[in-house]
Amino acid sequence: MSRKWRSRSLARRAITWALNLIILAVALGPILWGLSTSLKPTPAILRYPPQIIPETTTFEHYLFLFETGIGRPILNSVIVSVGSVFLCLLVGCIAAYALARIKFRGSAFLLFGTMALMSIPLPSLLVPTFTLLANAGLTNSLIGLTLLYTAYQLPIVVWIMYSFILSLPIELEHAAMIDGYSRGQILRKIVLPLSGPGLVASGLFVLTFSWNDFVVAVAMNSSEATKTLPVAIYGYLGFFGRDWGPLTAAAMVSIVPVIVVFLFFQRFFLSGMTSGSVKN
Amino acid sequence: MEQSEASVQHRSRRRSAWLRPEEREAFGFVIPLVLLEVFLVAMPLVLAAYYSMFRVDFFELTEFRGFDNYIKILTSPFILKSLFATLVFSFFALVITLTVGLGLALHLERDTRWNVFARAAVLVPYVISMLVGSLLLRWIFSKDAGITSAVLGPFGLSETSILADPTNAMAALIFNGVWRDSAFAMILLLAGLKSIPITLAQAAAIDGASAWYRFRRITLPMMRLPILITIVRLLIHFVNVLTFALILTGGGPNNSTQTLGLSLYRLGFVDFRMGEANALAILVFLMNIVLIAINLLLFRQKGGR
Repeated sequence: MSRKWRSRSLARRAITWALNLIILAVALGPILWGLSTSLKPTPAILRYPPQIIPETTTFEHYLFLFETGIGRPILNSVIVSVGSVFLCLLVGCIAAYALARIKFRGSAFLLFGTMALMSIPLPSLLVPTFTLLANAGLTNSLIGLTLLYTAYQLPIVVWIMYSFILSLPIELEHAAMIDGYSRGQILRKIVLPLSGPGLVASGLFVLTFSWNDFVVAVAMNSSEATKTLPVAIYGYLGFFGRDWGPLTAAAMVSIVPVIVVFLFFQRFFLSGMTSGSVKN
Repeated sequence: MEQSEASVQHRSRRRSAWLRPEEREAFGFVIPLVLLEVFLVAMPLVLAAYYSMFRVDFFELTEFRGFDNYIKILTSPFILKSLFATLVFSFFALVITLTVGLGLALHLERDTRWNVFARAAVLVPYVISMLVGSLLLRWIFSKDAGITSAVLGPFGLSETSILADPTNAMAALIFNGVWRDSAFAMILLLAGLKSIPITLAQAAAIDGASAWYRFRRITLPMMRLPILITIVRLLIHFVNVLTFALILTGGGPNNSTQTLGLSLYRLGFVDFRMGEANALAILVFLMNIVLIAINLLLFRQKGGR
């Protein structure tokens, strides 16, 4: 009996670990293969059978990218990402505070509207938005793109911050009110200093969205000077064609910062992902 | 406090009849949010509805067409074909992603050190740029990489070029969706799993219920709402997504993987037929409204905050 039990649990563990390995291989395989390709000298990339781990490693593709001007798109992406994070947190926190703490007519509608906006899929907005921006002269401009990212990510920021502020003890704010603090002072001096985790979670959401976005940027910004990194990579896809060395190197330039930030702040990502869909 | 309230009331006696001072303050706090959303999300849709009634040549409204653009879209074989491709893609991607996501959630449910690491690992495809994810998969699936030949070679299929065959290309597109979004499903479902009281399963186990029985009779019924929410959110994403098809297959071969999102993009930004493109955008948006409404209903049912 006991031996049978032991062998069964052994088999079970073997299956569990086999599953674990398959999961990791499928999830990370394409990324590691891209990393491996980006470090191979050009002739080795097309060799058959494929080398999983490069025999000789080289940074030539990365150097080539920086010589041919990937710096500008990176800078543009940084500008747009930082700008939209700043605007989103500013506008989002103030609105979330009012929604969470002040009773006013229309607040329920506003919350509901924010929730609805959160699930509007971007591709269906591209053509109409381009029509509008073209009329306003805001295409091919980093400001236009920053404003769009802000508008698209504000609903999730408001939602995260709203839930977060609701979870803070209200007694502190009451005490401050008795001391004669205005609403603005309460927000600045009491609520915001306590809102670290909420701010980080929502900031990370906006940051990765703005850094990763391709569809909005490619539709609104086609000029050389205002290209963001993903749009530049899309350009390489047409330009380098089957020259996968620089292509995979560019891919790594885009994803390595995201993966690093994600691994550092994982906990915050998860709390943001579930808010607005699962009660927590 | 009293004093400032009084002075505010004095300054706008007429408005204070229907706006309490607190409300005025609150409106001031939410107005930037409202303005941004109205101008950048609602306005484009209104403008699109207007443009969709015209013939548009490079942003010049040239001729009023009424609903002709809509009729043209709805009867175009090109659009109908892409609607079909979208349905095939969305259906299979949804079913597989949900299954894999639920499997991952159950497999990695306990918070052991390994499981926490594995959850982070499967989330990587979700957090990186969709463009880059599809680009990396395109490289894996391309004949030049030699990966497909090496894997399929032993089965005598070393000459198969996955992205050149319509059925295989669709399968690759579905794989792209599953690869990226399973972890998203996992996270939503995991949160649902964690909210099931553990005592239920324990009681059932003491009563001698098998693991499968517990899963069917306790886990699944308790997970009804999280599963429904995950389905709707995945569906909204899959029906609209355009990056997968644009980068991985380019819509080919022979338009077999040209999804609705991609058609919309092509019509607007490649062919510059803005009248028809806006009409299609409005149609797609109306379709989405149904999905979004279901999403909101489910959210309400959950008593969500």
